[in-house]
Amino acid sequence: MTHDRLKRLDAFLIPILAVLSGLVVSVILVLLTDTPPVEAYRILFVAGFGCNELTRCALFTTLERATPLILTGLSAVVAFRSGMFSIGQEGQYLLGAVMAAWLGYAIQLPPVIHPLFIMIMSMLAGAAYGWVPGVLRVKLGVNELLVTIVLNAIAVLFAEYMVQFPLRADAGAVAHSPVIDASAQLPTFLPGSKWGIGFVIAVLTAYAVYVYLWRSTPGYEQRMAGQSKRFALFGGIPSDNAAIRAMLISGALAGLAGSIEILGVHRRIMSAFSVGLGFDGLSVAILGQSHPLGVAIVAILFAGVRLGAQLGLQLEAQIPRELGGTIIGLIILFVALRKFYEGNLDRLRDWLVRRFNRGQARPER
Amino acid sequence: MALALEMKGISKYFASTDVRANDQVDFAVEAGEVHALVGENGAGKTTLMSILYGLVRPDAGEIKVDGQPVQIHRPDDAIRHGIGMVHQHFKLVPSFTVAQSIMLGMEPNRGGFLTPNEENRIVSELAERHGLPVDPKARIRDLPVGMQQRVEILKVLERKAKILVLDEPTAVLTPQEVAELMRVVRNLSQAGFTVIFITHKLLEVVRVADRVTVMRGGRNVGSKAVAETTVPELARMMVGREVLLKVNKAPRQPGPVVFAADDVSVTDVRGFPAVTRVSFEVRAGEIVGIAGVSGNGQTELVEAVTGMRALDGGRLALNAKDATSLSVRQRRNAGLAHIPEDRIHVGLNLETNLDENLIVSRYKLGQFNRAGFLNRRSMRDFAIDVIKRFSIAAAVPGGGISRLSGGNMQKVVIGRELAGEPTFIVANQPTRGLDVGSIEFVHRSLVDARDRGAGILLVSVELEEILALSDRVLVMYRGQIQGEVDPATATEEQIGLLMAGAQPETTAPTA
Ligand SMILES: Nc1ncnc2c1ncn2[C@@H]1O[C@H](COP(=O)(O)OP(=O)(O)O)[C@@H](O)[C@H]1O
Ligand SMILES: [Mg+2]
Repeated sequence: MTHDRLKRLDAFLIPILAVLSGLVVSVILVLLTDTPPVEAYRILFVAGFGCNELTRCALFTTLERATPLILTGLSAVVAFRSGMFSIGQEGQYLLGAVMAAWLGYAIQLPPVIHPLFIMIMSMLAGAAYGWVPGVLRVKLGVNELLVTIVLNAIAVLFAEYMVQFPLRADAGAVAHSPVIDASAQLPTFLPGSKWGIGFVIAVLTAYAVYVYLWRSTPGYEQRMAGQSKRFALFGGIPSDNAAIRAMLISGALAGLAGSIEILGVHRRIMSAFSVGLGFDGLSVAILGQSHPLGVAIVAILFAGVRLGAQLGLQLEAQIPRELGGTIIGLIILFVALRKFYEGNLDRLRDWLVRRFNRGQARPER
Repeated sequence: MALALEMKGISKYFASTDVRANDQVDFAVEAGEVHALVGENGAGKTTLMSILYGLVRPDAGEIKVDGQPVQIHRPDDAIRHGIGMVHQHFKLVPSFTVAQSIMLGMEPNRGGFLTPNEENRIVSELAERHGLPVDPKARIRDLPVGMQQRVEILKVLERKAKILVLDEPTAVLTPQEVAELMRVVRNLSQAGFTVIFITHKLLEVVRVADRVTVMRGGRNVGSKAVAETTVPELARMMVGREVLLKVNKAPRQPGPVVFAADDVSVTDVRGFPAVTRVSFEVRAGEIVGIAGVSGNGQTELVEAVTGMRALDGGRLALNAKDATSLSVRQRRNAGLAHIPEDRIHVGLNLETNLDENLIVSRYKLGQFNRAGFLNRRSMRDFAIDVIKRFSIAAAVPGGGISRLSGGNMQKVVIGRELAGEPTFIVANQPTRGLDVGSIEFVHRSLVDARDRGAGILLVSVELEEILALSDRVLVMYRGQIQGEVDPATATEEQIGLLMAGAQPETTAPTA
């Protein structure tokens, strides 16, 4: 019993150990620069998570940047947990973003209604784009991984075309769409920061995804079908429906991420809008143990390390900001080595339980 | 005779499962004998042998080989002392050849380059020397299980083992392969090797072993010469109580037809006909056994009956209502229960907890489903109830099930399937791989369900099981029902002939 309870801590321990290991190994890279490692990390964290004055708080920027990561991470979680190895978040995110940029100026609606309507439309766009690999997988047995890779590439080109031609605002050097109407913009919390209601939506969505997957019957169907197709067939769980539903939800979440990024942060879409945010969602989902809470925490961590590398290391210490990406890469690498921690954690646990049982359980008998 | 091996006071506590897997175990094996190590699943047999082979570190105890105390910390040490182990689950690489597998890690080479021909020659010689013919160039993945096991044995012999440990070697074999293995083991013993043969099938002990040690709950409960003991005595030692090796059942009281298959045909995964134009009925209060050599369409028939596979032709009726095109869930709601042949991959989802496993066929019912949300309280109550009714002591409500023994896993499956008082139960190989105590439980549960009025379709390749439980026996051969026999009067030989495709006697004169 105690052991099972301790085992549950793994969901937290493994990412924490991975992060620490990633940071420690990165020291080697920092040593190649002139900055002492401790100083470099201090700069990194202050610039990523610090808060000197309320109006210039790095943490707020980090939370703003974590928002799409949380949502694309959740998108991946829903797919993975349902047995669909979809990495289509990138494409679905882009379609959601294009949809939002377009509807943001093309239609006129009253304030609250306008962004709500856009977010729903973006989710539908993402869901439709998720439906394609879902159906191909279920009806024809086509590998969803390959299909989503192809669809991502198509979406990148489609978004670029939309920005360059139909949605283009002016003939400026960098193509971008018109700024969306004020009625469509998502409110921010503080002047000078884009941290706003979108973050709240992302956190609430994380909770909703948790409740859906673990507490609802359709979520139960998806998880069972994802864990064992034959068990699902045996028990009468419609696993084909579950897989398609998973892809619809997964697509909708990524679409929502694109929508919020436009409505809350950029307020328009520009050329080369895709910066791999969708793919980051994938990493966030894996590092976050495919769990909504893990995803939320890891997304914030990711965003913070990146921001710290960009504003802190690069500007203050002249260390290339790519170090941030390298640290994240190393962290992911260490998560992939989870078997290594698991072995050692098991040993540690054995030791703890042994001590516990010697001290406590014995006298009871 | 001299002791080849002596283990003294071996103890091992697994904190992760809170199990004393070995508790002060003394275990001695004489040189040149076949020593059976028996015990129910979870008795600690594998743990004891893993300690001997250096895979598990004991908390206490000492090991002597040929009278000399030895320190075994890893398999290399064991191999150095002439101990070899063939694991319960083979550890072979499917794409390797036989020779590559046997010579793994000790490949002959010339200046660092591999010499495949030399390798094949060594393996051929080795195989010949021990009377275990193999094709050195065959790929592991193309070999039947019995052959793969032979490769594992040769691998151990090539490493100069004098003491061979075979962990449940017969669990995965067909009856013919078992007979072959028995012969091999006897030969090895004749040639001077010492063999430790782990099993929980007592008839095998009698057939192959000189001495037997029985383990129960991590302790050695006794060692005996096989000649001086009996199967019932061993069963009692293993389980710790009197075991009914025979099933007691009242005469059947057949009621109305609960299930009917009419002219049913099914194709297998590759699209070949597996079941052709089969018709039969099952009545309330009777057990209809389907005997047959494995692979004669039983799996496909069961899948078709339970809704996991579409029919190719024919009709099914459940409780007098057409069920031909009902989904799995609809059939289950109509009173069908299914104990599948593969409990680990089909009957259970080991990745989730007990509660979620127990509701798989009923999560849509009002009891567990409140407006689309799982009713976790009644899930928990249901788990507690099933644990109590089927005395699954090892299971914990809300706890994982992946570490349960085979017998306890099957109890979970049976508990779930029988909890809803089904009217028609399909049981496919319900005791495969189980120990005597669990087999008794499964048989008792099925007979009780029958006496309660359920109709049961029992599919098994174990003729003894079919004969012990069934009220009527159908024999399947090449996807057809070859004949029906009365288990009260039929001889094993009669059924054996039908299983091999002979025409039933009644039709013989006209044919
Ligand atoms: N590596 C392990 N970690 C935790 N528990 C284990 C481990 N190996 C075996 N056990 C437990 O020890 C007991 C004995 O197991 P085992 O030796 O495999 O039994 P047997 O081979 O007789 O079926 C079982 O209860 C099993 O769950
Ligand atoms: Mg074992």
